[in-house]
Amino acid sequence: MNTVAPAEHRINKLMIANRGEIAVRIARTAHRLGIDTVGVYSATDARAVHVNAVDSAVALGGQTAAESYLRGESIIAAALAAGCDAIHPGYGFLAENADFAQKVVDAGLVWVGPTPDQIRILGNKVAAKHVAIAAGVPTTEITEVAPGSIPDGISMPALVKAAAGGGGRGMRVVRTPDELADAVEAAAREAQAAFGDSTVFVEPLIEDGRHIEVQIIGDSFGNVIHLGERECSIQRRNQKVVEEAPSAGITDETRQIVLAGAVALAKSVGYQNAGTVEFLVGADGTITFLEVNTRLQVEHPVTEAVTGLDLVELQLIVASSGSLPVTQDDVSITGHAIEVRLVAEDPTTGWIPSTGTIMLFHIPGDMRVDTGFDTGSEVSPYYDSLLAKVISHGRTRGEAAAALARSLRTTQVVGISTNANMLVALLAESDFLAANTPTSYLLDHPEVEADTGVSGDDRLALLLGAVFASEFSSRAADAVTGFAPSGWRNLRTTGQRQEWNDGGEVRWTELVMGHDTADVLIGAWPRAGDDGSLQEDTRRHVSVRLLDRGPQHQVIEIDGIRARVETVVDGDSIHCRSAAGVASFALEPRFEVHRAVGPGAGPVSPLPGTVIAVHTEVGDEVTEGQLLMVVEAMKMEHQITASADGLVTEVLFAIGDRVTQGDLLVKVGPP
Amino acid sequence: MRYCLRPCSTVANLGRVSKIGTPLASKLDPRSERFQQNRDAMTHLWAEVAEQLASVPGIGGRRYVDRHRKRDKLLVRERIEMLVDPHTPFLELSPLAGWGTQDPVGVGIANGIGVVEGVECAITGTDMTYRGGSMNPSSVTKGQRFHEIVRENRLPLIVLNESAGADLPRQVDIFVRGGESFRNLTQLSRLGIPSITVAFGPNTAGGAYTPGMSDYTVFVKERGTAYLGGPPLVKMAIDEIVDEETLGGAEMHARTSGLSDYLAADELDGLRHVRQIVRHLRWQKLGPGPTEPADPPLFDPAELMGCASADVRIPFEIREVYVRVMDGSRFEEFKPLYGDKLVCGWGSIHGFPVGVLGNNGILFSEEAAKGAQFIQLCNRTDTPLLFMHNITGFMVGSAAEQGGIIRNGAKLINAVANSSVPHFNLMVGASYGAGNYGMAGKAYNPRFIFSWPNHRIAVMGPKQLAGVMDIVARNAAAGRGVEVDEEKLLAQTTALENQIETESTALYSTGRMWDDGIIHPSDTRTVLGMALSAAHSNEIVGATEYGVWRH
Repeated sequence: MNTVAPAEHRINKLMIANRGEIAVRIARTAHRLGIDTVGVYSATDARAVHVNAVDSAVALGGQTAAESYLRGESIIAAALAAGCDAIHPGYGFLAENADFAQKVVDAGLVWVGPTPDQIRILGNKVAAKHVAIAAGVPTTEITEVAPGSIPDGISMPALVKAAAGGGGRGMRVVRTPDELADAVEAAAREAQAAFGDSTVFVEPLIEDGRHIEVQIIGDSFGNVIHLGERECSIQRRNQKVVEEAPSAGITDETRQIVLAGAVALAKSVGYQNAGTVEFLVGADGTITFLEVNTRLQVEHPVTEAVTGLDLVELQLIVASSGSLPVTQDDVSITGHAIEVRLVAEDPTTGWIPSTGTIMLFHIPGDMRVDTGFDTGSEVSPYYDSLLAKVISHGRTRGEAAAALARSLRTTQVVGISTNANMLVALLAESDFLAANTPTSYLLDHPEVEADTGVSGDDRLALLLGAVFASEFSSRAADAVTGFAPSGWRNLRTTGQRQEWNDGGEVRWTELVMGHDTADVLIGAWPRAGDDGSLQEDTRRHVSVRLLDRGPQHQVIEIDGIRARVETVVDGDSIHCRSAAGVASFALEPRFEVHRAVGPGAGPVSPLPGTVIAVHTEVGDEVTEGQLLMVVEAMKMEHQITASADGLVTEVLFAIGDRVTQGDLLVKVGPP
Repeated sequence: MRYCLRPCSTVANLGRVSKIGTPLASKLDPRSERFQQNRDAMTHLWAEVAEQLASVPGIGGRRYVDRHRKRDKLLVRERIEMLVDPHTPFLELSPLAGWGTQDPVGVGIANGIGVVEGVECAITGTDMTYRGGSMNPSSVTKGQRFHEIVRENRLPLIVLNESAGADLPRQVDIFVRGGESFRNLTQLSRLGIPSITVAFGPNTAGGAYTPGMSDYTVFVKERGTAYLGGPPLVKMAIDEIVDEETLGGAEMHARTSGLSDYLAADELDGLRHVRQIVRHLRWQKLGPGPTEPADPPLFDPAELMGCASADVRIPFEIREVYVRVMDGSRFEEFKPLYGDKLVCGWGSIHGFPVGVLGNNGILFSEEAAKGAQFIQLCNRTDTPLLFMHNITGFMVGSAAEQGGIIRNGAKLINAVANSSVPHFNLMVGASYGAGNYGMAGKAYNPRFIFSWPNHRIAVMGPKQLAGVMDIVARNAAAGRGVEVDEEKLLAQTTALENQIETESTALYSTGRMWDDGIIHPSDTRTVLGMALSAAHSNEIVGATEYGVWRH
């Protein structure tokens, strides 16, 4: 790490106006530089990791971002009250809000970021395109769309984009001219809703492109340097999943063009602080400038890994009117870095977000992990789903990928679904390893998203880990016959049979325990066939030796192969981890709780009385709770309703009929 | 301030734990020829038992088992497996009842002790595949023994019932005494011992009183029925034509008659209801929990296979059994220098303190007096008693008689008969003659009796018995002044000896329910632990009063 040049206006106390991993990460550098930190937190985040990472923290209240981290006025007031002299916005929330940046500056605080004007100009994609064109940066033509009009002469395929915002909102792909009008209208409506600005423009769609971005940083003395490029092509619905530096999929010529272009663009506006210039590089080598992100990026650690620089440190230096302590010539790229985003979403179920309490948070390996979560943290639905960034730096791309895959394979987040399996599959996938990673990579590789992790005998070892963990905790809980050998029988007919839910699939185990051995049958036990005789037993038999056992681990030898399985027992759910990977298994309940057994044949009269109304007839499809009849008894009108969905097969009484208690009134058969 | 993070018993808190007794040494050499012969013989005997045990679930025959499964019904032991808590032990009692009798091994009911919702329960179920789950004379006996166990040990009773009633052609040996089971159920209820009956199938005639007398009843929908008279009898008696469901179906009993407290959707749901019922009982055992350190013996219990002599006429050291059964092999011997053929002392099994009496030979006056005193001492301290039988009888002969063997033997029998702490019998060898009584045998109402496969039981050894009869015959002949027909007498004596030999075996004994089961010797500690634990469901109160002592 380079030493820091003496700052002209040293920052002594920094307000970090963000949450999660980025707040933790900023605080780490600040503390190393001797800067005190003040954090903020929503009511939801009161016990979050980032609150512990700062020296002191100010409660903003609220749950949603709008109620908390977007309350710029409160944050500035808190910064002033706490004696801060600067605000670092992190990314997201207020990071690219020019008005907020202006208020920070107006309040006499240092804004750790580009100037409000730079944010304003570059934050508008249309304006930024003009700047790019003026600076000679390679880009494709764009067509601005006047409000309410539909442009013509657009070559297909094309992309309709919102001028403001990002993250794929207000964006539409158009393949034929007749789709254009709808796409423009929809994009404008979405942009208005999301960003309060309905301006949209149209640009040529580059398919099979690569997302290449250049990290730049400038100071207030007009110095702008780049810190190399990153490739972030692997995305899901415009959300980056894997980022790396340098790009393995572009030529040196392209690299020089984007690096020089990015610096030229930044210099043309006198860019101060850290920023990212994004390009799309087509399969044919076409380079298109996309936009400038006027903030620190999520994926900045890969640049830090290969350059050895601390981007937050550089940000703080230039923000406090220091000059850049490094020149372009000082910047060299060493090895290859890959970052993956571990998110609380399950790719196998369409990336459904997962929320709740993290019972165990374990990311092994000797690599950088930026996270705002730990064991015991809550994942709330109010903020984004990023759990952690795991960054691997190796001599080569292959080495970085292998080390990262190894770490993620045994990453275990208990209580929350993650995309870890998908990341492991991706890091070992041949197109990825060959750097064939256009932005359509995940669409081209559905098997990566569908990956369910460790398989075969490695998964069997995890299942057995669950079986023995469950057995261990059951025996420990037996307060009356805990002394007896597990599942002991003097007349044995079967072993201990259990059904496990393994990611939606049922796995059957039958266990007979010895003293420090066990026999396990794997697979469905024989059921009776049509004639009542048991079907052939085709289960796999495994012999297990129990080498070392505890409430949180099972060391077992399965047919001569040793495995150590770490286990977390959460009621009937057991979360297992071995060197081969992780898996969770849930013991299927032995009994189904049936609804109170309703009338077998239909509704009955509660009392002796008279039928005063009939509301159904034979052949009616009735639903549970539907009124069928009214019986007057003891001066009360009793409504007779269907106890379950069904088909009326017989109406046994008519208006005026006398009924006695318990009489079946209507026969309702299966629907 | 120091905190104990784990539940710590007083035992764990002490740096040096004080324990009952000191570890005994073992002189048994597992490499010796004798050990190996004993072990081989025991292995052979166990194989015979194991084969019988394996046959029990299939006594109904393949055809009826298949038919049962075809109806989507669980076999009785499958129901028990689904009922008890996962990974807990289940001790089946009298599994080979009926061996060597007219009734099949197991006699068509499964009885045992298992853990349901953390509560040790007595579980009994009928085997519908054998003659429709009907009662036979042996199953009545087995059921009555089970009710004894339920009452004395105060175990909640779970009845998994489906039965056609009495096996009608055999009603003479069933009907009159069979009524006791219903009396038992209501008396259990009076004692606060709950009974829960699930009707999986028919409960017919007298059998209808099984749910009728139970505290809780669960009827399985479309399966469970109960009626005093089935449709054929109703037609015969009152000329009513009625279907089973209307007459005594689960729905009818749940909605109309009120006999069914819970209507279960299916068999598993019935078992679920039982578990729920047991859960709400909030059952508390009345006996003290295990109070002693429960460390395993220093010597491998598997070596019990070679401890006992293959031939009951060859004595063996009873302490070799103690060191493989008692916690930490510890034993505090009482009066070691007096009456040394009855080895008495204190120890514990799985933490339950016990007083142990075991035979190292026959009983003389000293042994009898010592045993009587020891039993009184154990009653004073509410200590359960474990009797390890390897006894061929009391000493006979003029010296013994003149020394008061009857008078002293009477003390022992007075003590065992009036002792009120739980008694456990472990048959590790012979149990002959009055020795069986002195050691609190079956007739003295022990809580549990378990036998090793080498066990022999009779009024005396077959050879002695045949020899006695030989002498009696010769005396009779002499009295009548006739010549003894040696050939005929030899044939008679040999036949008698063979008969007694056969009628003395462990299988014969267990077949007649003189015990509660033959166990694998290696399982001794587990079985005694379960029996002791079950017995502690009831209070443990020693006797203070006895019959008049003949001093």
